[in-house]
Amino acid sequence: MHYYRAKNLKDILNLFESEGDRVHLIAGGTDVLVEARQKPLPQDAFLLDISQTADLRHINEQGQTIHIGASVTHQELAESALIRQSAPLLAQACRQIGSLQIRNRGTLGGNICNASPCADTVPPLLALNANVHIAGLQGKRTVPVAEFFDSPYHPLLNNGEVVSAVSFAKLEPTTRTAFYKLGRRKALAISRINMAVVFKMTEEGFLEDVRLAPGSVFPAWHRVSEAETFLENKKAQLSVFEEAGKLVADKMIAISGRRWSTPYKEPVVAALVKRTLAIAAGVYKGGKL
Amino acid sequence: MTEITLNVNKKEYRLTVSEDALLLDVLRNNLGLTGTKRGCEVGECGACTVIMDGKTVNSCLVLAVQAQGSEIRTIEGVAENGKLHPVQQSFLEYDAVQCGFCTPGMVLSAVSLLEKKAHPEETEIKEAIAGNLCRCTGYQPIVKAIKAVGEK
Ligand SMILES: Cc1cc2nc3c(=O)[nH]c(=O)nc-3n(C[C@H](O)[C@H](O)[C@H](O)COP(=O)(O)OP(=O)(O)OC[C@H]3O[C@@H](n4cnc5c(N)ncnc54)[C@H](O)[C@@H]3O)c2cc1C
Ligand code: FES
Ligand code: FES
Repeated sequence: MHYYRAKNLKDILNLFESEGDRVHLIAGGTDVLVEARQKPLPQDAFLLDISQTADLRHINEQGQTIHIGASVTHQELAESALIRQSAPLLAQACRQIGSLQIRNRGTLGGNICNASPCADTVPPLLALNANVHIAGLQGKRTVPVAEFFDSPYHPLLNNGEVVSAVSFAKLEPTTRTAFYKLGRRKALAISRINMAVVFKMTEEGFLEDVRLAPGSVFPAWHRVSEAETFLENKKAQLSVFEEAGKLVADKMIAISGRRWSTPYKEPVVAALVKRTLAIAAGVYKGGKL
Repeated sequence: MTEITLNVNKKEYRLTVSEDALLLDVLRNNLGLTGTKRGCEVGECGACTVIMDGKTVNSCLVLAVQAQGSEIRTIEGVAENGKLHPVQQSFLEYDAVQCGFCTPGMVLSAVSLLEKKAHPEETEIKEAIAGNLCRCTGYQPIVKAIKAVGEK
């Protein structure tokens, strides 16, 4: 096995060029090294370490857009004043990942490229309408995060491509957001659900520009347009949020059919949608909803 | 195999290691620093915690080659001049050690927290040690021991 630490993006592309399919990217390694215990990397693998690649380590704003380098760690995002202010739900999601030791190593790029169904940064990025920036031998391209995934564990990346950054429009200070996570990563898949919401609320308390993105609910990630449309211009109140919860649960059943887990998951999904919306609207008082 | 230099507890070591060797294994086997414990080996227990460039990491999830150029601190580097670190002293005073398997990692998480924040709140202490599992103490004495250092 070979190991090389890329200093900049050019280094990465040069190695894609010279080493071809042998290249395995490693950022924080918190997924790669766990998986390598079950299935060791091939003997001739070329491990390309991008955790310290300068071009992938920035958090900044350019006009109204926030850019985050792929190798920024979860802890750096959780602590970033800029992210806490302009995308609080992403900072909250990062803060709840694993343990401090995992957050100190695990990266945003690794989280979305590993593409586990319960990846915690994906629902916030969907709700932020984020873009994924990709660099490769064929040049650069940008795709909306909603189009970045084929299926769980399969991001739409070609050989010889690296995610360089993620970007999204800064939220206005009055925008309401929430991220809610249920269950632990190693818990049974049916009890691992996370949820991200973003909306604006008028002074009279009506909802606008609602975005709702659940994780581990559908076989693929997407926002729930039925619930979003329903919520548009509705009053921010629990009865409305409850209705939205039912719409999301109905959609889950429409897509996945009724399964052995449905009697558990249906009410949980509905309650989580209601709760996450209520938290964002500031009407959640704790306890059961 | 490749030759690397590791900076551990302010000492430089020149070593020949396999590219896929874990930092955990190199610390224990090549350097004989067995205070870093091998537990789950998949990032869940924190027994293998070390401080890398001022941040706690699981040494079972870092390759030795990745640690090149970084400053590594292990439990062996915490006491200075034969004197226990205040965190170690406090762990003794508060009976925060039973079997001791989690202790090195737990102490390093506490040291790292206290270096960032001299007077942490209880919730901050709990957050800082959430990645360190203890099967014996029920955590209360550990949290108290760390809190007491901050209050001194
Ligand atoms: C104990 C433990 C707890 C965890 N808890 C959580 C949790 O609560 N929530 C959660 O979401 N995840 C969790 N994880 C999973 C993991 O920590 C995250 O997915 C993390 O973000 C992965 O990032 P990394 O940098 O470590 O990725 P790596 O392991 O370095 O890489 C993961 C994959 O992405 C590829 N890759 C990495 N960066 C890029 C890039 N820039 N471009 C293209 N491909 C790339 C790699 O080749 C690899 O296939 C946990 C893991 C452990 C071990
Ligand atoms: S041995 Fe590394 S976290 Fe358990
Ligand atoms: S003292 Fe035994 S595991 Fe903590």
